[in-house]
Amino acid sequence: MPIPMDKILQEIADQAYYASSLRRNGVQPTRDVFLAEVLGELEASGDAMRFVDAKGRIAWMATPRLRDYLQDLELEAEEDLEDEF
Amino acid sequence: MHGRERTTIALSTEAVRANLLRLETEWEMVQESRDRDAIYGYLTTVFELVVCWAKEGKAVKRACRALYLRRHHSEREPKPFAAVILCTADRGKLDDRMRSKWSRVLRYAAEYKGLDEPLRDFIKRRGGINKCASRFARRLGRGRPDRAAQRQA
Repeated sequence: MPIPMDKILQEIADQAYYASSLRRNGVQPTRDVFLAEVLGELEASGDAMRFVDAKGRIAWMATPRLRDYLQDLELEAEEDLEDEF
Repeated sequence: MHGRERTTIALSTEAVRANLLRLETEWEMVQESRDRDAIYGYLTTVFELVVCWAKEGKAVKRACRALYLRRHHSEREPKPFAAVILCTADRGKLDDRMRSKWSRVLRYAAEYKGLDEPLRDFIKRRGGINKCASRFARRLGRGRPDRAAQRQA
């Protein structure tokens, strides 16, 4: 059963899974096991948090800290783009 | 459960620390805010964390870990909401009575609030923080069957 998570975490997890699948030669853990590892690491670093969603399931979302960080990056990128043109 | 079981993700000590830090940040934001309703932001984060722990059947155990990490010692089995508030709100600014009141409000919400209703709306709809605390005492307090605590454990 897939682990429910928001768009930000889904993107990070997908990228991590893809990068790991390129690196590994041997046995690859199942996608869910891999995602669980990634989410555990993100939670420990304060970037992901679990919550009970509207369906009563344990789901995952980016913390406000990660959201703010990504938003800042986006604004900086937009400013850089404006400076270039 | 259909087919495969959901993968469970263990909560590491670092993750407990990160969660407490997130709540401390929320508490600081409440302290800096002049908005009367700012407290609901903090209470919501406490509520969501403990409800999630309870959903995984580990609220008391994780509350004990949180207390241990913050060097608080409890002789009795801790009440998870009160423990998390103790670990994340400045003790100089929040006395025992207030902490206990908020804990009662959150336990009341854990019992009666719908999953999709925001905590703030629920508390306001039920008459506010003080009213919810007394509703808890009437319905779930000492001498009453503590269904909320059973669910949290």
